[in-house]
Amino acid sequence: MTTLPEPGSSRASRFTLHAFASKWVGERLEAGLVPVLILVAVYMPFAYFVVPETNALHLSLFGINLIGQIMCFALLALALDLVWGYAGILSLGHGVFFGIGGYLMGIYLLNGAYAETHVLPDFMQYMGASDFPAAWKLLSRLDVTIVATIIASALVAGVFGFVTFRSRINGVYLSIITQALTYALMLLLFINDVGLGGNNGMTGFTRIAGFRLASVPTQIGLAVSSCLLLVAAYAGARFLARSSFGRALIAVRDDEPRMRFLGYRTHTVKLIAWCVSAVLAALAGMLYVPQVGIVNPSIVSPQLSVEIAVWVAIGGRGTLIGAIVGAILVNGLKFWLTAQAPAVWPFILAGVTLVIVVYFSNGVWGAVKPAGRQRGDISR
Amino acid sequence: MIHPRHFLLAIACFVLASIGFAQIACAATANRASAIVSFCASDGDKAAALAQIVALGVSADVPERAWSRRMIDAIRDGALVCTADGHALIQASPPLDASSLRPLGSSDTAASGASPYVPSIVMMRRLAVASAEIDMFAPQSETRAAAARQVDKFFALLDPAIVSRAIRHESDPQIAAALTVAMAKRGLTSEVKADRLAAVKAVAEVPSETAHTTLADFAAQESVKRDPELRQAVEHAIRGIDTSLAFGKAFSILFSGLSYAGVLLLTALGLSIVFGLMGVINLAHGEFIMIGAYSTYLVERFMQAQLPAFFDAYIFVAIPVAFVICAACGMLLEFLVIRFLYRRPLETLLATWAVSIALIKLVQLLFGSQNVEFVTPGFLNGGMQVSPGFFVTYNRVFAIALALLIFLATFSIVRFTKLGLLMRATTQLRDMARCLGVAAERVDRIAFGFGAGLAGLAGVVLTQIASVNPSMGTGFVVDSFMVVVLGGAGSLAGTVVSSLALGEINQFIEPFYGAVAAKVAVLLLIVLIIQKRPQGLFALKTRT
Repeated sequence: MTTLPEPGSSRASRFTLHAFASKWVGERLEAGLVPVLILVAVYMPFAYFVVPETNALHLSLFGINLIGQIMCFALLALALDLVWGYAGILSLGHGVFFGIGGYLMGIYLLNGAYAETHVLPDFMQYMGASDFPAAWKLLSRLDVTIVATIIASALVAGVFGFVTFRSRINGVYLSIITQALTYALMLLLFINDVGLGGNNGMTGFTRIAGFRLASVPTQIGLAVSSCLLLVAAYAGARFLARSSFGRALIAVRDDEPRMRFLGYRTHTVKLIAWCVSAVLAALAGMLYVPQVGIVNPSIVSPQLSVEIAVWVAIGGRGTLIGAIVGAILVNGLKFWLTAQAPAVWPFILAGVTLVIVVYFSNGVWGAVKPAGRQRGDISR
Repeated sequence: MIHPRHFLLAIACFVLASIGFAQIACAATANRASAIVSFCASDGDKAAALAQIVALGVSADVPERAWSRRMIDAIRDGALVCTADGHALIQASPPLDASSLRPLGSSDTAASGASPYVPSIVMMRRLAVASAEIDMFAPQSETRAAAARQVDKFFALLDPAIVSRAIRHESDPQIAAALTVAMAKRGLTSEVKADRLAAVKAVAEVPSETAHTTLADFAAQESVKRDPELRQAVEHAIRGIDTSLAFGKAFSILFSGLSYAGVLLLTALGLSIVFGLMGVINLAHGEFIMIGAYSTYLVERFMQAQLPAFFDAYIFVAIPVAFVICAACGMLLEFLVIRFLYRRPLETLLATWAVSIALIKLVQLLFGSQNVEFVTPGFLNGGMQVSPGFFVTYNRVFAIALALLIFLATFSIVRFTKLGLLMRATTQLRDMARCLGVAAERVDRIAFGFGAGLAGLAGVVLTQIASVNPSMGTGFVVDSFMVVVLGGAGSLAGTVVSSLALGEINQFIEPFYGAVAAKVAVLLLIVLIIQKRPQGLFALKTRT
């Protein structure tokens, strides 16, 4: 495509804040993220058990739970950034993979609850089932569930990605189709006959891997593992992005036809990134569900899936760290503001999104990131 | 001197006599008094007297019908007082003479000391039947429909002559069918086999769900099972009814698919134009639909308060109002946000999403989040039975017609106006169009406003067939995206074809597997189709 420079489109990256910030922040700040996240992970049990409640540094169980949830969202955003920022695929359907992880985890947790109480979950009784479904018993162990989640999400992503990438659907078309996919899955999960709890979803979990879910150490453990998984995923994604595969991915994003002519199998490159991203999103869902104690169709709502993209956009796409920062910022603000002024939150989110998208297209992180590695325009 | 009314009556009698109504009309006039006399006679046959009154009530003579109606009501309400001299009066203020319905002077009220006639339970049923019989000839179709339901309830007590005359006079096929079934029920309970056969045949002529149930109940009777001829006739009739009901059902599925397609067309048209022209997906499109619906709501409120005489026309007033409001909002959005985001379509997606959540919240704060109630204009109320089992509601016909009109208007604008020419040029090759002096930015802004206005029109139509609330847009927008993806961005023909296809497929799957399965199937179908045609069925030839 011939790209004539348009008169009014001077890039937002020349904003003065950027020049100012790049003098004192840079690679070092980016490299600091991993230690900070590990510090948070280590600090959480310390803050709950050791620091006295009167101290300002004390964290309540609610606060720890919140941090754990936000870490799951950050992992989800990281997953999306891998495909959006590096492969140029804006998925508005990452909630599907988040939901796969969440629902499989829900099945595992209900297995545990049934083994302990021998009472069928409410929605099964309501549907007139007399016994726990045999297929569900396959997921009675945590390790099996984790493997199943990875396989299931990779499989769904693989089939969908293969079909769409092969026929060269990209850009806005792909976004719309993934959104429709999310919408259809949500409608499907709303039906009682599907057997996944319908509108009310699954709840009433008791134990995870033998530990009581309601107990304080389990909750702290979940939050800590969310943090650590995020760190591991970040390190892995960063490694992937800087490897030769990552370079190829960026090249596909910037000019797919040229890469194809150069002999790359571009759809395979995209498919691998897409599947890795789906698995990360599913793992985020797995960790999210035991922390909120419920899984229902709202986690595959199109609303949430668009919001993930908004976190990434606000943080700065194509930077990995920006996705994490964006998810933490937006969700932290959301939890705080929906308690303080619920009516105002949508306006603030909308306003921030508009300002970021229109004026700071590289997001918060892009505004403070050093210049030099200027990315091409992915939206071709 | 002859009273002018009597004179006119005489002429009417003369005219009617010449066309064969003489016995009914003229005898009735003379018989008002005799009916009263026989009703008031202490040893008289009250049922026969009532029949006399009903005979007047079903005559062609309007004042006689009114008199009969008044009499039946008076008897039922226990307001009829028989006086000693064979006259009667109706207790009211002032009391009326039962024969002439004229107010009685104070001198005549001496006899009002007599006690009124109190109908027995049997009499009350007879009165209900009588009033239904009179109502079958009422000019208002609602009254006749209500009477038909009554007749169906009291089928054993009916006067067959009156009902069959009512069937002959009935202009509404639905009411006629109900009456026929009621009549036939009478025949089915008859002891005479020929009557029963005739009744079965009569029911088979007017296929409907009730006719089906009636015959099925009849076929279950022992006496029918034993009689092979009767059984065969019933089974034949039921098969016939089933066939015509199946056709009716197929037609109604086709029709509901068509009306859904109309809605899809309206919602997707604007989206498709904007997408084709600018490559911009407007996630706030659904909210423009919602704004259109709320504009209609405001127009409705305004008309109700200020111009109640023209209230029914509010839907037509709302069309330009909603279009202008939504077009203005759309142009504002383009001016404030979209124009900074050209060549970054994915980010436009997020920006318009942000606008959409803000708009939903804003409308929620202004109007509340519950559904808004609309008063349907009179001419859109109800519907029409086209064939058995196929009922066409006027609001859906309106939606289809409006969708067609709006599509034709859009087509003409794009095809035959200068603006359309510029729009097509910009869609095909933006840079070249700019080089040739097309003000692409202005074209974009106008086209975006136009697309938003079309969404507003969809909102106007949706007020009549869907519930209106702040988040109504989100449901429609996914569907209209599917239409655009399938049809090909910017292609008007593609939009029509794909909305028709999606609407029909949806409505064909829905009755059997449910709405969700329909949505999922449509989605899978689209994913499969764009395997072969990634740019949609009717991809525009662009040169980018």
